[in-house]
Amino acid sequence: MSFEPITGRYLTVTVQGRRQRIYVEMAGTGTPVLCLHTAGADTRQWRHILNDAGLTKDYRFYAFDMPWHGKSLPPEGFQTEEYLLTTEDYIETVLAVSRALGLDRPILAGCSMGGRIALQLAALHGDAFSGFTAIEASDFQPAWYDIDWFHRPDAHGGEMGAALVSANISPHAPDAERWNTLWMFMQSGPGVFRGDLSFYTRDDSLIGRLAQIDATRTPVHLLVGAYDLTCTPEDARRTAAAIPGATCTVMDELGHFPMSEHPNAFRPFFADALARMKVPADV
Amino acid sequence: MRATLDRMQSRLNATPYLLRLGRLFSETVLLEVGGAEYYLTFRDGRLEQIAEGPSRKTPWRFALRTDGEALAQFWQPQPKPGFHDIFGLVKIGRGRIDGDILCLVKNLRFFKDFMALARPVAQMEKLA
Repeated sequence: MSFEPITGRYLTVTVQGRRQRIYVEMAGTGTPVLCLHTAGADTRQWRHILNDAGLTKDYRFYAFDMPWHGKSLPPEGFQTEEYLLTTEDYIETVLAVSRALGLDRPILAGCSMGGRIALQLAALHGDAFSGFTAIEASDFQPAWYDIDWFHRPDAHGGEMGAALVSANISPHAPDAERWNTLWMFMQSGPGVFRGDLSFYTRDDSLIGRLAQIDATRTPVHLLVGAYDLTCTPEDARRTAAAIPGATCTVMDELGHFPMSEHPNAFRPFFADALARMKVPADV
Repeated sequence: MRATLDRMQSRLNATPYLLRLGRLFSETVLLEVGGAEYYLTFRDGRLEQIAEGPSRKTPWRFALRTDGEALAQFWQPQPKPGFHDIFGLVKIGRGRIDGDILCLVKNLRFFKDFMALARPVAQMEKLA
């Protein structure tokens, strides 16, 4: 028998009065780290981190599929709804899952839209977490594309989405992991990537909240790949500069999905980020 | 440039997975490199004709405009940030995409993989 150390379980939480059945993957022992996937994808993006024995000896990682994503079903009645993720729903979902898992001030690590919501949580619920690692995250990214492209009856939104986001993957990424990363976008449910992008490209409320974040009290570290066209190093640096006490590292050979597209290159940057998630008094 | 395009044409027409991806793609694309126009006419995924401009009469569905030095960087095995993708060229101000962008997006993997055909062979399937 050679199972991977990752285990997957389901739990049900209530968000905005609606029951959501959530799929959670877990691995490791030690300091809890709650991991958030990007738009249009799922928890599989974190597979290498959850299988990394060097990290799981000190940290217990939890990664969950947002409702509508991966193995988390959409809520009852979804068939007549337009899925549009909002900041409020997203914040409540993360807090509800963290509570349901019984986590005590976990580190929050999110990528892309997960990084954006990590910074929103840093601003609005900083005391609920012990640190924030915001990967490929910035204050705001308006869309240069039409998000409606990704949900229409005459084309496959997943295939178009994958072809578009491939622009954000580093040419240094191993082929197998590039395509594993793109496969998740190809599998995304109809309209889900569009609904995530609605949150990511239309809600600019974080800009006015960045100064509320106190990174000297709860650490905030940004990681950004040099090949990320969506959240560029310039975007991440600008965002970090607006957060008192935040730090930022540029990852030269990585793109927008670093933990999934090129795990070996990402690992040292993530290990460093986790090490920074201790306030000076704790060190 | 013409010799490179001819080579890309041969590679495309000998690459089954690209022909399968492009089987519904029958359009003319304008590739403009340093002001020189190349009208690429695809039929059922095959590159049927490469016509050199200038032309004011040739209709095209979408256009990619860039410069020779940027394309040379784009065709490196591991291009620098921004030069690694056609949208990267646009982002760094070295390219422009015009016309029916939705048509491009519907056929994006096919067209991006076609544009990558001038990379060393081992890279052919890397960028989609």
